[in-house]
Amino acid sequence: MRDIIVGELTQAAYEIFRGFAHLLPRLIVMIVIVFVGWLIAYIVRAVLRSILKFAKFDRFFERAGASQMLNQAALPSPTELLSRFVFWVAWLGFIMLGINALGIGGLQEHVARFFFFLPRLVVASFLIFFGLLLASFLSRAALLAAVNANLPSPRVISVSTRILISVFVLSMVFEELGLAQQTMLVAFAIAFGAVMLGLAISFGMGGREIAQRFLEDRLVRGRRPVKEDEPSPF
Amino acid sequence: MAEESILSDDFIRQLMNVGEVDILIGVPTHNDARTVGAAIHAIQAGILKSFPRERAAIINTDGGSNDGTPDIVMGASISDVHRSFNGYTLRTLHSISTQYSRTPSSELALRTILSAADLLRAKACAVISPESTTVDPGWVESLLRPVYRENVDFVSPVYRRHKFEGVLLTNLIYPMTRALYGIRLREPYTTEIAFSNRLGCEFLLQHRWSQGSDEDPRMDLTINAISNGFRVQQAYLGERTQSGSQSRDLVTAMRQTVGGLFSCLEPSFPAWSGVVGSESVLTRGSEFDVTDGPLRVNRKQLKQMFSQGVSELGSVLQVILTAETLVELQSVASADEATFRLSGELWVKTVYEFAASYQKSVMNRNHILQALVPLYRGRMFTFLTQNRVASSAEVANDIENLCLEFERMKPYLLERWDGRK
Amino acid sequence: MLESHDPLWYKNAVIYQVHVRAFFDSNGDGVGDFQGLAQKLDYLSDLGINAIWLMPFFPSPLRDDGYDIADYWSVHPLYGTLDDFKTFLAAAHERKIRVIVEMVLNHTSDQHIWFQESRSSRDNARRDWYVWSDTDTRYQSARIIFIDTELSNWAWDPVSKEYYWHRFFSHQPDLNYDNPAVRQQLWEVMKFWLDLGVDGFRLDAVPYLIEREGTSCENLPETHAIIKELRRKLDEQYPGRMLLAEANQWPADLRPYFGTGDEFHMAFHFPLMPRMFMALRLEDRKPITEILQQTPEIPKSCQWALFLRNHDELTLEMVTDMERDYMYDEYAHDKTMRLNLGIRRRLSPLLEHDRRRIELMNGMLMSLPGTPIIYYGDEIGMGDNVKLGDRNGVRTPMQWSGGWNAGFSTGDPENLYFPLLQNPVYGYQAVNVLSQKRSPHSLLSWMQHLIRVRRSTPLLGSGLIEFLYPANHRILAYVRQLDGQTILVVNNLSSAAQAVELDLRRFKGNVPIEMFGGNLFPRIGDSLYLLTLAPYQFFWFRLRRI
Repeated sequence: MRDIIVGELTQAAYEIFRGFAHLLPRLIVMIVIVFVGWLIAYIVRAVLRSILKFAKFDRFFERAGASQMLNQAALPSPTELLSRFVFWVAWLGFIMLGINALGIGGLQEHVARFFFFLPRLVVASFLIFFGLLLASFLSRAALLAAVNANLPSPRVISVSTRILISVFVLSMVFEELGLAQQTMLVAFAIAFGAVMLGLAISFGMGGREIAQRFLEDRLVRGRRPVKEDEPSPF
Repeated sequence: MAEESILSDDFIRQLMNVGEVDILIGVPTHNDARTVGAAIHAIQAGILKSFPRERAAIINTDGGSNDGTPDIVMGASISDVHRSFNGYTLRTLHSISTQYSRTPSSELALRTILSAADLLRAKACAVISPESTTVDPGWVESLLRPVYRENVDFVSPVYRRHKFEGVLLTNLIYPMTRALYGIRLREPYTTEIAFSNRLGCEFLLQHRWSQGSDEDPRMDLTINAISNGFRVQQAYLGERTQSGSQSRDLVTAMRQTVGGLFSCLEPSFPAWSGVVGSESVLTRGSEFDVTDGPLRVNRKQLKQMFSQGVSELGSVLQVILTAETLVELQSVASADEATFRLSGELWVKTVYEFAASYQKSVMNRNHILQALVPLYRGRMFTFLTQNRVASSAEVANDIENLCLEFERMKPYLLERWDGRK
Repeated sequence: MLESHDPLWYKNAVIYQVHVRAFFDSNGDGVGDFQGLAQKLDYLSDLGINAIWLMPFFPSPLRDDGYDIADYWSVHPLYGTLDDFKTFLAAAHERKIRVIVEMVLNHTSDQHIWFQESRSSRDNARRDWYVWSDTDTRYQSARIIFIDTELSNWAWDPVSKEYYWHRFFSHQPDLNYDNPAVRQQLWEVMKFWLDLGVDGFRLDAVPYLIEREGTSCENLPETHAIIKELRRKLDEQYPGRMLLAEANQWPADLRPYFGTGDEFHMAFHFPLMPRMFMALRLEDRKPITEILQQTPEIPKSCQWALFLRNHDELTLEMVTDMERDYMYDEYAHDKTMRLNLGIRRRLSPLLEHDRRRIELMNGMLMSLPGTPIIYYGDEIGMGDNVKLGDRNGVRTPMQWSGGWNAGFSTGDPENLYFPLLQNPVYGYQAVNVLSQKRSPHSLLSWMQHLIRVRRSTPLLGSGLIEFLYPANHRILAYVRQLDGQTILVVNNLSSAAQAVELDLRRFKGNVPIEMFGGNLFPRIGDSLYLLTLAPYQFFWFRLRRI
């Protein structure tokens, strides 16, 4: 019996060492791939950063208000953000390739699924970035318009705008990622519909006369209502 | 010449029939049927009285009127076929019209007029708007004589105004233009101007024309004239009443005027950065003519909008203004109506900081301009209040002091400009 | 008289206005004469004209270039004899050239025997042949015509100690047409010349025949009655002869002189002429079209006489003050060129010796509705000399060659009635018939061609006119139509090339054939017809349906 146990153990150890011996080269390959991938990703990041700086990428986003938004979120500048994003995407890709090189069956399937998922992740990232940017931009625009139109509670309008758009963007992102699609869709539809219905009822009940006067002025007489509260700016 | 693509075939044909002219008067319109007839007749009378021997044409650039405005204009031609004028005329006087787009655009309207003036080699060109319901035949002479007979390149009008009319002009546009460019042009932004062929062609080439945008190039034209060595004069035109078809929406006005001015600052930086002080411009007639009289203004609302603006736009203003300036504005906003005062110095500082932030595009430029609107209302309130019982001379003096303040604080703008803080 | 089966011959005539003394001197005395004129009839025949209008050749003290007549029955000795005239007349008729004679009815010279008798005493039988008055205050509403030289229409006669009436120079007393004897006598005068064979009369100064208190003494009904009477007699006894009125009036005031076809056959369209010059300078057809729009229709048997220049100043009476100022500034900046509300210059100097403009103006002259009259010398582009005083600057000797006295006379240059033009541009060495005849491209050759084309069709003389009004105001375009035929005339009044779109759609299907070269132009279709013209160019197209 002792011989059988020793023999089995020896066999097992041999199997392990053999397996390890099979794995080791692939592991080395994986490490090399990951390392090379890191190098490439680093170079790509550096090149991309230089190109974006030369093209004044940050300045473009400054105007759109992206810099401000990122600052508020304690994020780096758009150039840096994009460069780092590209770096990580590239390196992750190489890591996945490296893992693939290990030749472990189940892992390969996951790797394939990862690569399949990657474009959607990129799209979702862009969606969330530009969506939040848009929300920020439009909320500021709403704030300014409300203030200049002397509407009550301009900040409420501004924040509501931002929330509405953010929610809309998030629901798009979830849909893109394929996470809880139906839930998000229904929740958004209900919330959006409720808000719109509320607005319509309140406007219909409270603003009927204003609406009538407005439409008469614009469509029937074809002139703009003249404000008499201020002298002409010219 | 790329700009010719904005001229339709039909318009080119009309220009071909007009031929070379000495005088060209552009009349931009949009649904001005009520006032354009009188304006055109006044222009005709002015041409026939002051330039009876010259080859002249009236060119209407229309932004999609649906009330028959272009037909009224074209019906005013004087020729052996059209007898719209009862008196005798030596020459044919063409009155033609083109629709540059289906929606009004100041930029396209002016560009079309400039293109037509270039193609017809007009020696002197004027733009007169039918929004002014008091267009007088004498305007033609006042605007065009210096250009046509005395080699002046640009003539800007001076109007008789109510002392509280045109606050944006008297408290911002005029003093800032004067301080920066060193020329005391009372109406840098106006609907009536005259310019020479030389200036018109150069502007047509140099200006960055966008396709039918909301921009108004009139400010740029004025800046171009006063910063590039062109001969500039002013002409007193007397009273001007506006028809009210023009929008008095302050945000739009701010965008067109202040936005136009701020946009010009960067490209013309070499022209204004070294200028110190200012000098007068030769003016035919009165240089400053102001009337008194009651004016119904809701001053309370002005103050309230200023205060609300400062408080609600804090997050926006802190990006545009320095911390000290913002604090000062907040302090002013908290004052009651009796003690409220947005001083000249604070106002100038605010405007300059806005200009610098605009140049650096700290945020969307439209938003920057919109953020200035409530602050301007505060300035308007102060101006109306402190001049409520002032005479015309006192108002003139007040504006002059503000101008000197703008001039005195110009280095502050330069510092913020160069420093890029 | 030239035998003619066409009573309306004057509608298709091309008339040449000439002064005998200026044309050709046959006897070396320095003054042109009838024998000389007869010798040059071949030249006129080659030119293509078919009627000559002779300026006054009657005996006269010549203080107004012969318009002060001292004897109606004879020829001034300087110009020859009555027989010379008859010989000339016969020779002209041989070449199928009609002769129109100047007849001054309104006044005579103060040297005329009638006036001498009239002024001799208040009881003289001819006293009433002129208009006398004790005072100079009558007819105050009558304007003074020669404003540069006369201060009043009355002149004091020291002989009979009364004032006499004169609408022109003071040495030209007006005849009294209220006197039937005067009317009868002048008819006898006309008969005399008609019997000799002249084909028509240009009646000078007709508006002024009659005076009435409280009126302008112009265009009065009584004047028209006199003319009707003259015409009636003419038609009865001398059918086919023509009366041409000289009446410097607005078209509406001229219209009565045609009556219902029972007064004058022709009248000068004075207001059109300065407007042609004005339109050219303005580069705008408006002055021409407007005056023709105001021109009333005339009886079918009547005809306008058109001209560019003549022996008088380019009159600016029938224009507005603004127009007059413009014309003075543009055409007579030198004030010595101005006289009596007019400009005393010839065609070529007025047009700055510009061949293109000379051609254009002649083209319009030949294609506008009316009978064209060419002033002698304008066919070669003769110049003028304002220093000769009065209107003599446009009456210098005809320039035949670059040789002795410009080929005008074999006499001494000092004896010439007026000195020749000498300057390098217009002098006789530069501008003369001989040198122009040698070149097929000279102005003279071109004028011959123009007249030939004009006379090739009766349409331009007799046809109706309808203006096209293209949007390009620098283009004067019109169609002439007669008996179903159409000629399209397009004139570019501008100094720059022009494009014009003409609405010819009602002539759709016609092919325009350019009349000078005979070449075809594209057929007229449904769209506007595009033409391009060089500076001052003009086209005559015959529209043919093929």
